[in-house]
Amino acid sequence: MAKSLLIISRQSPWSGPGAREALDIVLAGGAFDLPIGLLFLDDGVFQLAAKQDAKALQQKDLSANLQALPMFGVEELFVCAESVAQRGLDSNALSLEDARALSAQEITALIDRYDQVITL
Amino acid sequence: MSTLHVLSHSPFGDDRLTSCLRVIGADDALLLCGDAVYALQPGTAPFTTLQARGLKLYALDEDARARAIAIADWAEAVDYPAFVELSVHHDKVNSWL
Amino acid sequence: MKFAIAVFSAAHAPSSRRALLFAQAALAGGHEIVRLFFYQDGVYNASASVVTPQDELDLPRQWRAFVSEHQLDGVVCIAAALRRGVLNEEEARRYQRDAVAVGAPWELSGLGQLHDAAQDADRLICFGGA
Repeated sequence: MAKSLLIISRQSPWSGPGAREALDIVLAGGAFDLPIGLLFLDDGVFQLAAKQDAKALQQKDLSANLQALPMFGVEELFVCAESVAQRGLDSNALSLEDARALSAQEITALIDRYDQVITL
Repeated sequence: MSTLHVLSHSPFGDDRLTSCLRVIGADDALLLCGDAVYALQPGTAPFTTLQARGLKLYALDEDARARAIAIADWAEAVDYPAFVELSVHHDKVNSWL
Repeated sequence: MKFAIAVFSAAHAPSSRRALLFAQAALAGGHEIVRLFFYQDGVYNASASVVTPQDELDLPRQWRAFVSEHQLDGVVCIAAALRRGVLNEEEARRYQRDAVAVGAPWELSGLGQLHDAAQDADRLICFGGA
């Protein structure tokens, strides 16, 4: 059986290529039909803020790629509820509707459930 | 299942340690390396927090020695062979990059 | 035990040296390294263009020697490498660039190689950041 991999994405979308490169690992895993999960933690939750304008910084729109996750077979999407609250984001207005909000305890259980973890 | 969490950033002005302590499980362990060993500087908030948590704590010996940080008796100094063994002993390794 | 080791930081980052020492200790302990994968700024570890002052640790050279000596599978993420100007001969030709920074023993390939290594290994260990 294939090993499951959890990617924990902790970087804001505008701090360099980090967030995109974390997402690329997820998309590649999805393309290979691997059991893969993605958790947005700390500043990573800013990737899910609504109404961001990538063009203002001459960047590509990361949220378009995030929307494509289910199409790549990545349906295990999670977001840290505490990180969202700390950063003043509206948990009902995140750009990834399928992402499930998790408490710290649930994140502990999530990490435990996966075979491997990469925190970026 | 147990996880070895690995931190390498200084706990001062960075939230990795805080986030890690929020989600670390009862059977997990934490290895401090690089600037993360500054968390063992006595009299600081990270030191007090770690001491109070009483989790399984390791620190990479070379990083502590280089920084003149004494490894508290409630933590354990490890070298690279011991780091390898820790990663074998735990089911997975979660490095907070 | 089979290890997959992924490096995310540049050659001058302490975590890259830590990755090499971990890899050496793993082999010395009788373990196997199924692949070393270099991603993000980790691709700089494979660059032959890095010039280290003579009295400092030359990590790219040490990685090269380590990978060659033990005939390890050293894979550099091609997308991350292109973005950072760490090209092998084939890519330099493809994109008409003068500078070739990567040669043997390194191989440029895709992120699938990271997943492949993670599937094959008992442990995936990542080094990066500080």
